Amino acid sequence: MRKSWLRDYIIRRLFYSIIIAWGILTVTFILVRVGPSSPADRYLANLAASGQDVTQVIAAIEARYGVDRPIWEQYTDYMTNLFRGNWGWSFSTSMPVIELIKKHWIYSFQLILLSSLFAAFLGILIGIYSAVKQYTKADYTFTFLSFIGISIPNFWLGVMLILIFSVKLGLFKTYYDTTLPLFSIENLKALVLPVITLGTGMLAAYVRYTRSAMLDNLRKVFVTTARAKGLPERIVIGKHVFRNALLPLVTIILFDLGSIVFGGAYLTEIVFGIPGLGQISFKAIFANDYPVVVAVTLIGTLVVLLVNLVTDIIYTYLDPRIRYD
Amino acid sequence: MRKLLVFIVLVLASSITLAGCAKSEVSDTGTTGMATVKGIFIEGQSGGDAETLNWILAADATSFSYVGHTLDSLATYDNEFNIQLRCLAKDVEVSPDGLVYTITIRDDLKWSNGSPVTAEDYVYTLKNLMFSDWLNYPYKGDWQEEVNGETVFVTPEVVDATTFTITRQTVDPEFVYTIYDLTPYPKYIAVNYEGDVEAFTQAPEFNNLTYTGNLGPYRFKEWIRNDRFVVERNPDYYLGKDVGAPYFEQYVIKIFGTSATRQAALEAGDITYTGIEPEQANKFRNLPHIKVYTVPTRGYTLLAYNQRANGWEGLKDKTVRQALSMAINKQTISQAILLGFAEPAFSFIPQTSPWFTDEGLVQYGVGSLYDKKKAAELLYHKGYGIKKEDETIKVTNKDGSPLHLILAVNTGSKPAEDIAFLVRKELLELGIEVEIKLMPWETLLRQYVMNKVPNTDQEPRYNNGPEAVSREPWDLLVIGFNTDLLQPSGSYVFFASHGGLNFMGYSNPEVDELFKRAKSKEALDKEARRQIYAELSRLLSQEQPVNFLVFHRANHGFQKNVKGIEPGINMGYNYHLWYFE
Repeated sequence: MRKSWLRDYIIRRLFYSIIIAWGILTVTFILVRVGPSSPADRYLANLAASGQDVTQVIAAIEARYGVDRPIWEQYTDYMTNLFRGNWGWSFSTSMPVIELIKKHWIYSFQLILLSSLFAAFLGILIGIYSAVKQYTKADYTFTFLSFIGISIPNFWLGVMLILIFSVKLGLFKTYYDTTLPLFSIENLKALVLPVITLGTGMLAAYVRYTRSAMLDNLRKVFVTTARAKGLPERIVIGKHVFRNALLPLVTIILFDLGSIVFGGAYLTEIVFGIPGLGQISFKAIFANDYPVVVAVTLIGTLVVLLVNLVTDIIYTYLDPRIRYD
Repeated sequence: MRKLLVFIVLVLASSITLAGCAKSEVSDTGTTGMATVKGIFIEGQSGGDAETLNWILAADATSFSYVGHTLDSLATYDNEFNIQLRCLAKDVEVSPDGLVYTITIRDDLKWSNGSPVTAEDYVYTLKNLMFSDWLNYPYKGDWQEEVNGETVFVTPEVVDATTFTITRQTVDPEFVYTIYDLTPYPKYIAVNYEGDVEAFTQAPEFNNLTYTGNLGPYRFKEWIRNDRFVVERNPDYYLGKDVGAPYFEQYVIKIFGTSATRQAALEAGDITYTGIEPEQANKFRNLPHIKVYTVPTRGYTLLAYNQRANGWEGLKDKTVRQALSMAINKQTISQAILLGFAEPAFSFIPQTSPWFTDEGLVQYGVGSLYDKKKAAELLYHKGYGIKKEDETIKVTNKDGSPLHLILAVNTGSKPAEDIAFLVRKELLELGIEVEIKLMPWETLLRQYVMNKVPNTDQEPRYNNGPEAVSREPWDLLVIGFNTDLLQPSGSYVFFASHGGLNFMGYSNPEVDELFKRAKSKEALDKEARRQIYAELSRLLSQEQPVNFLVFHRANHGFQKNVKGIEPGINMGYNYHLWYFE
């Protein structure tokens, strides 16, 4: 019974997701292409500086990349190629877009995944402890540290960590080394500082969310009942209070995961020299490299849609009263 | 290969020009003195990644520098501007009338398939690729000339397997420098893509540099975008085979997002070399494992005066520009802001250029020509000022209203920002209010530097003619320019009326004529050319189309175990002979 309505719901959501993704893809394509910028803009200063006939060369470069054609023609070609699995040629990096993404997604993914795990695990643990020990010295300390964590800019924190742990103490390399095997202790070590940098803000926020959600539930009648029944405090907190507090936390954690996929990780990638999709997409925007911009936007959209769907499904397991039929 | 000789720079820092020369002693062990093949040389950069390794499509200097590790040009220079032959067997011969250039290449150059590199490859590259309509080489203008009002290409012709000629119809004494930069594509591969721009753009041989044979000290290994460009030692390098060079197993260019992390990496010993910002130079000098070389550069910072219709009307007057330049202290900029790593500039040719002369240069901003009182008097006599009761002058508009100027500068370059604030302080003492507009580089270019004729559908460019104006009004603008030290005539783009980067709208027929003469038959005589450059320098220092502020010196930080470096303006010219101790 449950399986049946859930399957129908997933199919329906996937169908909507495709329509939403297509819509966002189209809007992004139009926005990127109708703007005043051109992929040839980056040539302007150098060409002018060397005394070239800028107008002629710019027209030629636009023709080379096919951006001199009517926008509907470019759009039709792009969509046709996309459905055939051809994501286009990145003219700011000189390689096929699909190859570019295949090569670089893993750098962003490992950073985001480890940062999220680090932040969620520690944030929830500290949040629970803070709530259970409300108004103790430990609670005040964690609250204070949380506010610092939320306030510190990633960029500054990353540079400070490098100066202290890499330059002064020599414990880590000053930059992320892409030559390390992905599944190795060395690679994990290389990710320690970037993960702390990206994860600190999230961790601090999760501490606050968890504490607040736990406190809400600790005051509820079912907790008093559980305690009156003589259940051990460990069970009361872990099984009853935390499970009820988990619903809003899952929403926030998964939403964060979706939103930092490309945007939030950018500064950390810059500081530690990680060639992830954040850097790739940011530079593609400035280079007017529309095949990359559109492709990365599409991936970001799909990730967010997928995360939302997963969140909705998790709700039904955390709280069986939730149904989407 | 076309290198970028003159271009706007955001942060003025000289880059190492990479090329090699064979002057080491030969040893049968494959070592030269202390030099043995070992280690990985890691260069830290934070100026962004290259666009392509298919160099004929590139417009950025980084792409050319990457390819330059695997592909030598015909010739380069040492720090004293002595020619260093690379793929040339002997220096280019120029006919007495200056029209025919005979180029003889070495006979031991090979492509990766073992076939010889011939004159045919060079001529094919010029005729079928660089001059073609289908490929649209961005710098084809370097190989064109104006003949009877028409733009035509020069004529390359094969003489024999190792010799070819290039014939011009008009004289250009500095054309030989364009020839020195030439590199070839292999005809045997390129013919497969000829006429198909998409196929050529995506050709794996060109995008992975698989054809470079023994033409460069290194061979392409890997390029991870926005991260690292890796080349490995080429044991067959034509200049290195007798001496065992190059001596690094790999040469890596590591891209950093910020200069702070790039410098931290050098301090921690994670990279071998990087450029050092002025404020960090003394700190790095005191580190026991780092050696800092301070060398002159070709870059200078200037204060541009907007002489277009949307600038303050006074800036069109030479005396007004002179007065403003007289009020800004260049010693303060070089010593207090750039901490001594710069020297006052008075024209566009730096002291390190063989064409430099200080004869007749008007030195505004130093000594007796740094004089605010005199500046105020000059402006007063032009009608821009009022005399107060105490006889002091307050500079104003002609109608007596307060003079308010807009100074635009980009963010991200602390020296440029500091210079902007110094200018404001100096001009305030004359009574001029300066409003500083700080903005990102791209915004500065789009809204303040690029211009078009109002109410037309012109595409904005850096110089769209005398009627064109920028989108936003401005009066002063802090920016950096470069001068090619061997052919300063390239600076016509900034100062000639029709120069592609003359965004200030400066126009002086005398200056235009002098730039023209620097590239004429008359200038074939070096003494005559020297006189032309001296006259140009003198005229521009007097006219002040811009306030030439300072020429920069760059700091290069190396790990101390790197040997063989010859510090100077072109310090990378022998980099294939560098080695780890």
